[in-house]
Amino acid sequence: MEATKPIRVWPMLAPVHALVLGVIVLPSLYVVWLSLSASTFGQAPVYVGLANYLKVLADPAFRQALLNTVLLVLVAVHVELLLGLGMALLFASGLPFRRFLLVAVLAPYAVSEVTAVVMWRFLFDPDAGPVTLALRAWGLPTLDWAYEPSHALVLIGLLTVWLHLPFTFVILYAARLAVPGELYEAARIDGATRWQAFRRVTMPLLMPAIVIALLFRYIFAFRLFSEAWLLTKGGPARSTEVVAIYLYQEAFTFNAFGPAAATSWIMVVASLLLAGLYALVLRRSGASHAH
Amino acid sequence: MTDHFKALPSRRAVLGTMAAGAALIAAGPGRAAGKTLNILSHKVHQTVLGTGDGDLLKDWQKASDAELAFTTFDSNPLQDRLFREASLGETDFGVGYLIDNRPTAQVAALFEPLDDWQKKNPIEDFSDIAPGLVQGMTVGGKLIGIPVRHATQGLFYNEALLEEAGIAAPPTTLEELIEQSKKLTFTSKAGTPVTGMVLASDLAVFPVMFARAFGGDFIDGQFRLVPNPAAMEAGLAALRALFEAGALPRSYATTKNDDQVTWLQQGRAAFTVLPFARFAQLNNADQSKFPGKIKAIEFPISAGLKGKMPMASVVEAWAMSIPKNARNKDLAWSYIREVSSKRVTLGMAINGNGPVRVSSYADAQLKAKNPVAAVEAKVLADARGAFPPFPEAARAQATFLEEVQLAVIGRKPVKEAVAAIVERVKPLMPA
Amino acid sequence: MRTERALVGAGKAVAVAAILVWSLLPIAFIAVSSFKPGQDIFAVPPKLLFTPTLKHYAELWHSWGAFFAGLANSAIVTAGATALAVLTSTIAGYAYARHAGRWMQAGMAGLVIVRLIPPIVVTLPLFPIVNALRLNDTHLVLIVLYATFFVSLGTILMRTFIEQIPRELDEAASIDGAGRLTILWQVIVPLAAPGILAVSVFVAVYAWNEFLFAFVFTATRAKTAPLVISEMIGSIDGVDYGILFAASTVQLVPVLLFVIFMNRHLVAGLTAGATKG
Repeated sequence: MEATKPIRVWPMLAPVHALVLGVIVLPSLYVVWLSLSASTFGQAPVYVGLANYLKVLADPAFRQALLNTVLLVLVAVHVELLLGLGMALLFASGLPFRRFLLVAVLAPYAVSEVTAVVMWRFLFDPDAGPVTLALRAWGLPTLDWAYEPSHALVLIGLLTVWLHLPFTFVILYAARLAVPGELYEAARIDGATRWQAFRRVTMPLLMPAIVIALLFRYIFAFRLFSEAWLLTKGGPARSTEVVAIYLYQEAFTFNAFGPAAATSWIMVVASLLLAGLYALVLRRSGASHAH
Repeated sequence: MTDHFKALPSRRAVLGTMAAGAALIAAGPGRAAGKTLNILSHKVHQTVLGTGDGDLLKDWQKASDAELAFTTFDSNPLQDRLFREASLGETDFGVGYLIDNRPTAQVAALFEPLDDWQKKNPIEDFSDIAPGLVQGMTVGGKLIGIPVRHATQGLFYNEALLEEAGIAAPPTTLEELIEQSKKLTFTSKAGTPVTGMVLASDLAVFPVMFARAFGGDFIDGQFRLVPNPAAMEAGLAALRALFEAGALPRSYATTKNDDQVTWLQQGRAAFTVLPFARFAQLNNADQSKFPGKIKAIEFPISAGLKGKMPMASVVEAWAMSIPKNARNKDLAWSYIREVSSKRVTLGMAINGNGPVRVSSYADAQLKAKNPVAAVEAKVLADARGAFPPFPEAARAQATFLEEVQLAVIGRKPVKEAVAAIVERVKPLMPA
Repeated sequence: MRTERALVGAGKAVAVAAILVWSLLPIAFIAVSSFKPGQDIFAVPPKLLFTPTLKHYAELWHSWGAFFAGLANSAIVTAGATALAVLTSTIAGYAYARHAGRWMQAGMAGLVIVRLIPPIVVTLPLFPIVNALRLNDTHLVLIVLYATFFVSLGTILMRTFIEQIPRELDEAASIDGAGRLTILWQVIVPLAAPGILAVSVFVAVYAWNEFLFAFVFTATRAKTAPLVISEMIGSIDGVDYGILFAASTVQLVPVLLFVIFMNRHLVAGLTAGATKG
């Protein structure tokens, strides 16, 4: 790498960094100030210290929302991982029409959240949805999502998995393709079974990709809003609220900007904590796998 | 991974796409000539003004060389957006539609006082506009909105389904309504599973109506919170009984206002509570499987109070207001004057609007078009808003609904839910 | 051995069928239902056989002019945001690929950290600022917002792609007397085209589908298609599901075709973005 003369490089970096600084960083810092003050429409902010944070953390509705979010993230992200891994291995094992199938798997990536909710609401309509009717016709239990909070969370999770599986799949598939075929050849010659080859060759080599996919999905899934909002509005009785819905309501329904801003930062910190802890655990166990 | 790098399109293709994008930006959106009046409203307000040849404002638009641009949202997001716009340095919106339970003193300060405009350039026969509605838009002695629509709630029923279940006449008491709803929870001849009643769970209107049928209320005009807890308990118990019997949809907790319309049109529910102005839509042959079979009456009071006091149904009123920071207030006032005229008020009523002028109800054409006009006028006489405006009203409503939902779907005993409503809403009440 | 192979084949076939149903059925249902006569859409039991009708599309055309204006706005905003993000990310990515140092590392770390901030966080403070700048309800504000939320990923991606281009090519051009912008334009851009396309797919799909920013920062003139669809859901005056499905289909088809057409670049971008980011 050539020794850098900042004056020559900065003009090239300036546009990107100016955008990021002006649109994301400085406004986020202003949110810190908002979170330490009380304000609403037509009212100048007044400093109140940590009162907003305490108020939010003490609110049972917030705790419920946080619990729901953590549960949803944990379950949805791991289901995505399992499905994505299974599909990556299936694709790598050789499939006819592979290109077409790949495109089919990517299709949900193109769907906007608004449209996706229209689709899934329709499919799982408790009375007239095609999937509900099919399940009922086969005598299978249906998703009673409009009544049972746990079922509603399942549907929100399904929708999340549907929208984001392409991401997880692609990362794992690319990582699987990057594993050199000779390694499997060698394992086979050593008399390893398929399962042993998977444990000893595939998993350790995929581990970095798995950690990356999980980290990204943890952080992004924590922002989950539209799916839950458009499906249940957080109901019945606020039992399916997620953190982003709580934030939206404080900000735009109750016009309480202070608690909304505090929720923003709690949300950022909580998602980082969750992802960080998880990465740590996974790295450790991943490392022990490899040896 | 390597095969992903094979498809190398020419640089020209990439640059061409980018250049086309740049050209599009430079062109910008097409803008019509003349003035534009931006209006922030609910879709329904635009609909009732008519389109094409039936456009009630086409002469006004020509005369004032103005074009109307509506931006529409659902009720609550609309109010949020309106207040946000009105609190800015300047807004594009000249006219905003305001719901009567929202203007607190704080909110009212964001809007132009209209008394002077009315003095300078008065609205035709202003005293004809229902005084109660005008009163609701007067905050701190200042008129901040001109009433344009009222939505008075009535009980709608599907006559065909009632006949099928062998019910000769619609209910005259709340108890009969509950009994009939349970009876109408069956599978119809057409094979459709029917639910006795369908109600949205995200609006205070419905539990308030049930409480009022027993002489109670949520928050009354004098800001008394749950003035009669026993009546509130009776109302919620009635809703709970309906849900338990399957006479409210199992999806009650996610049912919304538009679902009520669909369910009734499709024959999936026999009863619902909606504004009388929905009559035409519910009987619209294009959308409804039961055109002409959906009727409306006054929501019945409980047997114990029948004949002793009138049922106070819920009425929601909308008014047109001008944000203080609007750019062209003259054009906005001109629009408001025109929409409030006798001609347009009547025209909107014929298109399904709840007319704010007393004189509209006397019109023969409206009577022919809207058979429930007479009932509506009678119900309106005793109707009042769901709850009065105050700063934390939105949070109070959300809290109320949360407890109502818990009680109705059976997660909390009714008595406890009512106690929780009182306890949790009390700190939100104005001092 | 033969039965085992047959079993594996059958298992694969079932898995493939499940994948297809999972990925495509929801999309197909919406698209098909948009051609069903109104009363059949929610008919119980659902009608598999029906006379296809363009009625909902005609109604959409007649009564939701705003939707088509929204599509045009979406196209403008998508093109603008893509151009802005690609241009700035390519230049910055080039700088990061060819220069090292503590400040460069710090800058890169900053770009990674910025991706951790959820978009919803900045809506609250940006609303009054955007208004003070008179940018409310313009295409420009959406273009800048959408580009900004992707320039960090875009820069990371472009750096990854440009790092794979041998530095000798830069040096050869430099010896020939080419300036840095000339090198970027004539040497780097043609070879980094896959990266440019990958970044384009991300930004374009995001800008075309985004809801939150469009909801907060536009009102009439720059309203995008997803916003109009949400208004259709939100207009309680009897949602006509046929029209809603028709609008969803119209909004979806261009971006679906785009993703299908660009699938290689999407895959390459996702891979590089995740592993190098």
